[in-house]
Amino acid sequence: MSGDPILDEWYPVALVSQLGPLGRDTRLLGQPIRVYWGTDHQPQVSDANGRALPVTCRYGHVWTCPGTPSRPLFDIPEADQPGRRLVDVGVVRVKCSPLRAVENFLDIAHFPFVHTDILGAEPHTEVGRYDVQIRDEVDEVWATKVQFYQPQAAKSAAGGITTEYMYRVPAPTVAVLYKTCPPRPGEWDVITLFVQPLEQDLCEVWPWMALFDDTTSLTDLIHFQQTIFVQDRSILENQLPRLLPLDPGMEIPTRADMTSIAYRRWLKRRGYSFGAQLVAA
Amino acid sequence: MTAAWTPVALARDLPRLGVMPVCVDGIDVALWRSASGRLAAWADRCPHRGMRLSHGFVRGEALSCIYHGWSYGASGSCLRIPAHPDLEPPEAIRVPVHRATENNGVIWVALGDQDNTPPALTGLVPLRSVTVQARAEVIRSASGLAIGADGIARGHLASIAVAVLMQALPEGATVLHVLAEPADPAALIAASRAVEALRRAAESKGAA
Ligand code: FES
Ligand SMILES: [Fe+2]
Repeated sequence: MSGDPILDEWYPVALVSQLGPLGRDTRLLGQPIRVYWGTDHQPQVSDANGRALPVTCRYGHVWTCPGTPSRPLFDIPEADQPGRRLVDVGVVRVKCSPLRAVENFLDIAHFPFVHTDILGAEPHTEVGRYDVQIRDEVDEVWATKVQFYQPQAAKSAAGGITTEYMYRVPAPTVAVLYKTCPPRPGEWDVITLFVQPLEQDLCEVWPWMALFDDTTSLTDLIHFQQTIFVQDRSILENQLPRLLPLDPGMEIPTRADMTSIAYRRWLKRRGYSFGAQLVAA
Repeated sequence: MTAAWTPVALARDLPRLGVMPVCVDGIDVALWRSASGRLAAWADRCPHRGMRLSHGFVRGEALSCIYHGWSYGASGSCLRIPAHPDLEPPEAIRVPVHRATENNGVIWVALGDQDNTPPALTGLVPLRSVTVQARAEVIRSASGLAIGADGIARGHLASIAVAVLMQALPEGATVLHVLAEPADPAALIAASRAVEALRRAAESKGAA
């Protein structure tokens, strides 16, 4: 193990389905890397010195680790469940801290204001109590029993419904959302946000979905998710300070922000500081 | 003393229910006008999670943040947290407020506690604001305008008497807020073109 909590994580760096014959030159944690097809027809990743980095292909994406992986890539069991559509949404570049992008994905209170008439609408703004835990046995952040009224919860939802959600942070730059699945009561749709940290204040965001939805066209599914994310981007690029403050200081959380509080505490405990501001400013 | 007030916009460019970002001495300010016409200049950062308030929206006499809709009243104190509609927001949640005033059709902002008032510009009407990619000194020398005791550049553009107020932006840009003596539309259009020519001259001089 390199022992560095930042280097030893897995990061998404490309979509397998969109990795062209010329490969992809990109950045990770402030360093150049290259993603390309190896002679064995498997994606490979190398750093600026040509050193081969560990690679895992999972959930449609190529994952790499610039250090020594401290654990295997997190598991999303639903990805293997028969009947789900696995949707590669693509990439959105955002001029913000990778950690701010994850935190925003964990937030529901903004739905009525940022995703107006899609994921929320006034006057249905109240965020009820929900449960948040740092699950030590898996070292993940979980928020459960989150409920919110949505005018159009998903592409497959015709009218407004109260949607239930669970949020999960299995790695510092990954968030997984489980939400009520209108056509399949009892199952959860899975929507993820895989974040590639390019710099402390620049990231590429790869949403990915595993849904029970046989009716909506792929284009519409992708378009819906991209619309949502472009709305989030206008927030993320205008938050100050640019880096995510891990110490309480200039920001004022409320009960609706319990997931964000747990996420920041968990990052701090792990010593994960890339994209973070450590001293109260 | 003279630097205490910064001209930030022409009053007509900020209608009721409008909000815009402006820069004062390198500080980001959210400038907004309420339904009743009251002007306010606040720190451009929401105390909740740091979103720029200049992206927010005005309802009645309050400014709301676009991220989670927290709204703030005239004194800068938080009135409402939509995620918790039954909660009375604590007094401590407050946006820092700056001084703003309007005279002769120009909006001015002061960061400190000023007792003085912005310079008088009587007899002039707003012409236009224009952003120039050059510093104030370069613009002054390109314009040939004289600087008065009140720090304001005055002179003539296309034979019309003008006053040019300068607002420094970060990275060497400057906003010019130009006022002119009342004149017929054709003369004012000519003056406006002269402002445009001044912008080009200053930018090519600055680049040289
Ligand atoms: S950041 Fe302004 S309301 Fe949340
Ligand atoms: Fe969002």
